[in-house]
Amino acid sequence: MTATTPVVVQQNRSHAWRRWVQRHGWTAGIWILLLVLVVWYSTLIPRFGGFQVSTIITGGTAWIFLGVAQAVVVIAGGLDLGVGGMLVLTSATAAQLMEGQPLGVVILIAIGIVIVAAVLNGIVGWIITVSKVPDIVVTLGSLYIYQGLALMVLPKVGGGTNDSFRWMFTGSENGIGSNPWPAIVVIIIPVIVVAWWMGRTKGGLSLYAVGSDPTAAFLSGVRDAKTKIVAFAVAGAFGALAGFSSVSISGVGNPTTDGGILTLNSVAAIVIGGVALTGGIGSVIAVVPAAMILFFFNPILSALGVDPNQAQVIQGVLIVFVMMIAGVLEWRRLRRT
Amino acid sequence: MTDTSTTTTHDESSEPTKTSIASRLAARPQLVLVFVLIALILVTGIIEPNYLSLVGLKNSLVWAIPIGILAAGQTILMLTGGIDLSIAMIATASAYIAANQSPNGTAFAIVVGLLVGLIAGTLNGIGVGVFRVNPLIMTLAMAGILLGLFTGWATTIFAGSTRMNDFVRTIGGGSFLGGRVPWAAVVWAGVAILVILLLRRTGFGRNLYALGDNAIASRLSGIRAWQVLVAAYAISGILGSVAGLIVGGRIGSVDLQLVGFLLLPSVAAAVIGGTSIFGGVGTYTGTILGALILGVLQSMLTFLGAGQAVQQVLYGSIVVGLSWMYTRLAARQ
Repeated sequence: MTATTPVVVQQNRSHAWRRWVQRHGWTAGIWILLLVLVVWYSTLIPRFGGFQVSTIITGGTAWIFLGVAQAVVVIAGGLDLGVGGMLVLTSATAAQLMEGQPLGVVILIAIGIVIVAAVLNGIVGWIITVSKVPDIVVTLGSLYIYQGLALMVLPKVGGGTNDSFRWMFTGSENGIGSNPWPAIVVIIIPVIVVAWWMGRTKGGLSLYAVGSDPTAAFLSGVRDAKTKIVAFAVAGAFGALAGFSSVSISGVGNPTTDGGILTLNSVAAIVIGGVALTGGIGSVIAVVPAAMILFFFNPILSALGVDPNQAQVIQGVLIVFVMMIAGVLEWRRLRRT
Repeated sequence: MTDTSTTTTHDESSEPTKTSIASRLAARPQLVLVFVLIALILVTGIIEPNYLSLVGLKNSLVWAIPIGILAAGQTILMLTGGIDLSIAMIATASAYIAANQSPNGTAFAIVVGLLVGLIAGTLNGIGVGVFRVNPLIMTLAMAGILLGLFTGWATTIFAGSTRMNDFVRTIGGGSFLGGRVPWAAVVWAGVAILVILLLRRTGFGRNLYALGDNAIASRLSGIRAWQVLVAAYAISGILGSVAGLIVGGRIGSVDLQLVGFLLLPSVAAAVIGGTSIFGGVGTYTGTILGALILGVLQSMLTFLGAGQAVQQVLYGSIVVGLSWMYTRLAARQ
């Protein structure tokens, strides 16, 4: 009789552990993978210090923001092919408006751009909900429109921004430095805010509800149209943040950047981050290391002496390989239940 | 194009006498696409009167041909609920390899070009069908892999000619009947007949629809999904190669950005034509109309003298607008 209690406790504990692994296993695994890669990278190159860390984090910032933007929309059951275009549009606009302005004005401009980006992408979400046209099609259109608008705002590579603004995103006034902390702060604050919003508030949780089953969500009183519009607006805002990061690194805006490729990277990032493309499953917290890993491939492979073209091949093969493992795991899980 | 079918549709409405124009159009959304196409041609004619001639219309057709062939691949895959984001890169790679092998003979160059599509498409199919990788991810990764491979190979094993074979140049850019009918149109017509027959008259075609409509039901009725998917992606790859050879032949020399700009139009053509991206719904006749509309649109934007910026904004807006209209009509039905 007395011996049963500890057994039960142990069973509960192992049950809780299994539950934790089931719920957070993928997130933890991706963070561990990133850590392993960083440690491995540090042994690959002769000098590993603040400069290298800073380069990786600064360069990865835009990828992370685009990944988070995509994750928010996909969790809500959509897909936004326009996020890459939003980066191009906002970076072109920022470079055009911010050149030669003092920091205070630049910050106001930045806030304005974030708001306009959110409204623009919110309109895209509204069109999707009203027209019932699939997300892929509408956002294919918005990708084109954003790229065109970027060219209208800034006809060719140019413009500029404030040095202190560049410091905020890169830790240095010329875009290259060895201080990773500003970039880390710039990444962490918005990601924490959006993670808290999605995990702890009614508005954020309704994204998961709508994403996993729009009908059930509607029947339980979630306004699915509004939820989707909000998701797209948040994605637009994150697209703008990615645009700022891009301007801060290069110091100029480039309206001819191919937003399509950036979008495709964001899709790859969320898939590696464990966000289900069918909606309703995933966490933005896991997208951060996933986007980092994707960006990190290139420095690692070049440190290994692989030429950039082969690096691209290896990257593609690795993404497919990860997805195959995920697919097989999912299949086994389904078979067991 | 669709008018040849029975005029009395299986209309189960209780008031067959009072059918409004809108509902009659709704019964046949493709008719609306024909109207849109004619309207676009007329508007373009108003903007530039010279357009309403054989030469002008031929220019639009030449634009539409590669889009239409690529969109055939997208249509087949969208019916299964998939998509091929690597098709433009497959096309580019095929054109590149065909141009490179041109000195070794026409037939050899073409066969090697088509082989690229077959191999890459089959790999896509294995990834999607056997290993259940999401089609977006699988084909996107395939595009990256091909780009990487060919960028590397361009300076090593394929470092020779980038000039396309004369025969392929004739097929891609030449025309007959006194320069009136492009040879590429004949290729497209052949592709169109084959694809339409494949979708309408073969068991494989019905399997594609079944799979996209309800994967579980199709599995329970004995369809081996993976075999259907591997075949579908392989066909899409070959269609990509054909389009690549035509574009390569038209331009004459190849580089690794050859066909990339046609990826999104190929998806757009299928969608404008009424193919559902979720699978199970769509026809290739619709996609042909979609490709023609995009071809005319391209001519119109060129005549407007609009810069690239305005062109992109208009193009995006029109794609959204057309699919919105189409969805409206389809929903009424």
